[in-house]
Amino acid sequence: MKKFLMFLMAAMLIVLTACGGKEAGGGDSDTLEIGALFPLSGDLALLGEESFRGAELAVEEINKNGGIDGKKVKLVKGDATDADAAQAEANRLVNQENIKAIVGSFSSSISFAASEVAERNSVLYWELGAVSDSITDRKYKYVLRTNPPASYFSKVHVDFINDVVAEKLGKNVKDIKVAITHEDSSYGTTIAEEAKKLAEKEGINVVSVQGYSAGTNDLSSVVLNLKKAAPDVLIAVSYMNDAILLTRQSAELGFKVPVFLGSGGGHTMADFQEAVGDKADGIFDVDFPQYSINREFTPGMDEFLKMYKDKYSKDPRSGHSLSNYMGMKVVLDVLAEVGEVDPDKLKDAALKYKAEAGKTSTGWGVEFNPENGQNTKSEPYVHQWINGELITVWPKKVSLEEPQISNK
Amino acid sequence: MTLLQTLISGLLLGGIYSLISMGLNLILGVVRIINFAHGELLMIAMYISFLFYSTMGLDPYVSAILVIACLFLLGIITQRFLIQPILDTPASTKIFATLGLSIALQNLALMTLSADHFSVRTSYQSDVINIGELAISIPRLIAFIVAISVAVLLYLFLKKTMTGKAIRAVAMQRQAAYLMGVNVKKIYLLAFGIGSALVGLAGAMLMPIYSVYPTLGTTFVLIAFVVVVLGGMGSMFGAFFGGLIIGLVEALSGVLLDTGLKEAVYFAIFILVLLFRPSGIFSLGKGAEEVGLK
Repeated sequence: MKKFLMFLMAAMLIVLTACGGKEAGGGDSDTLEIGALFPLSGDLALLGEESFRGAELAVEEINKNGGIDGKKVKLVKGDATDADAAQAEANRLVNQENIKAIVGSFSSSISFAASEVAERNSVLYWELGAVSDSITDRKYKYVLRTNPPASYFSKVHVDFINDVVAEKLGKNVKDIKVAITHEDSSYGTTIAEEAKKLAEKEGINVVSVQGYSAGTNDLSSVVLNLKKAAPDVLIAVSYMNDAILLTRQSAELGFKVPVFLGSGGGHTMADFQEAVGDKADGIFDVDFPQYSINREFTPGMDEFLKMYKDKYSKDPRSGHSLSNYMGMKVVLDVLAEVGEVDPDKLKDAALKYKAEAGKTSTGWGVEFNPENGQNTKSEPYVHQWINGELITVWPKKVSLEEPQISNK
Repeated sequence: MTLLQTLISGLLLGGIYSLISMGLNLILGVVRIINFAHGELLMIAMYISFLFYSTMGLDPYVSAILVIACLFLLGIITQRFLIQPILDTPASTKIFATLGLSIALQNLALMTLSADHFSVRTSYQSDVINIGELAISIPRLIAFIVAISVAVLLYLFLKKTMTGKAIRAVAMQRQAAYLMGVNVKKIYLLAFGIGSALVGLAGAMLMPIYSVYPTLGTTFVLIAFVVVVLGGMGSMFGAFFGGLIIGLVEALSGVLLDTGLKEAVYFAIFILVLLFRPSGIFSLGKGAEEVGLK
């Protein structure tokens, strides 16, 4: 019996190593392999998967059209549930799978950890979705980012208050009271801090800042603190669970704010609207491009939506997939120019790559800052929930409707 | 006024924590299993509740009885096929088994149901009772009342009925109970079943308040453990009051200190309890962390 077990284990070991061997030989002549690091399970899986889908669709599209010089592009998946896993998975991709360029990653903490590994190994890390400024602030040689960082979000918050909210509320900007509430991981904290800084620079009065952990079961204390501060504008940075909780508990505890400005994450999602129903109406949301938008400014969006529906048989959960799709298309364009997965050549080609605003599926232009690798022509837009639909309302070039703010 | 409202919100939150913790406490007290999959049982209960709502239009409060039955069965199956075979193994094996179950269930949910957040929408969901400026959410109040009822009923069941006495006997001294003719295996099955059924009830009560997603359990299970240790392992009223205390601490520290520090405060209290009264606040005293159910 014992011998049989030993034999069985040995046999399994052989099979396992054989499988490993096949993988390690990747990156041959007929495929171009790119690592794809996203949180595909765990707490962040919802938007992590949504983000990955965008990248996946862009790759499928190019492969359907013959690939790059006849070579197929292949995404080698890594499941990075948190920063620790990101580090481990990035190491695996780089050292075992022999990957030379990685795209990712939805979450800032994941991106931060994984790009560290990439930089150490001279592997290109191309961020398509994470927003923390610190990712590009480190000025790493091998980090690029197509999507707008947190500071761009905060800038839109403050610009929107300056240009639209003040007038609609009939108040001087300096008399507007702003409160900020944010989940306290790197994502929420960066946007909140940046918004506070920018607002105060404009002379806007920031009356309260409430941080909380995204995994919380209760936001009553946050809501009560906000109620006491009685702001005109609330800037909220939330994931999904906390976004629902904040809206529900605000209603329960009788906290109302004339202008509610979300910052992507939960406030963008259809699940959020499902959960809170008409309480979503009126909520503004600063985020990546969504789908009720002026499509003349976002050519290619219709095709994207069709591909998405064909493959996943439902509509996107949010704009995350679109932004990752757009970013991945830039990656593939650059890759097509270079013809091989070489980090240095890709970086050089990317810095030369230019696209105008209004010519991509997100409406973003492309121009990388050679200093830190950030795409300076990307921008978040302001959307609003109107009758259960998230509609782009600002700036004018992409908007479908006027922002609606009631003075009461 | 804010302070009073905070106290109310904290108590209501505490009711939810109590409700979730009592099942965990029963399983821990009787079967002596640290059930890390407790949060996942809650998650499953909420998915079942949602399923009844979305397919048959059943209100979560109506389908509660069905959810309880499902979870009772699930608990018995878990006990029979996962826990019973490893009962005599070292504690670490049991921890790995339930932790493994927890991870497996989470990923199973992720695979089959995706990472979407599902919520029910009912007419009374955001109704509140207003007393002056104070607001009491109705679904939370219901959960609170259910938590009290469960604590009382469970206490009566364990104290007054023959089966309840047998459960307590097994909790105190497995061998002795066996020698006295108690069918220990059956009692274990029953205890795990009831413990899971209680989570089922909790899940049904939570459905109008929270939305359900695969990792929902992780946000509650840690608190449930804190509550159980704080209240005293095996003590039903301990778990009830432990829940209330944690709820109050969470709400008050959010308003009085900083909303970002809530978790830090109750974990600090948790550590203090472990240091100075390891058997829990409501336990019988020394050594009670090892024995018994009351």
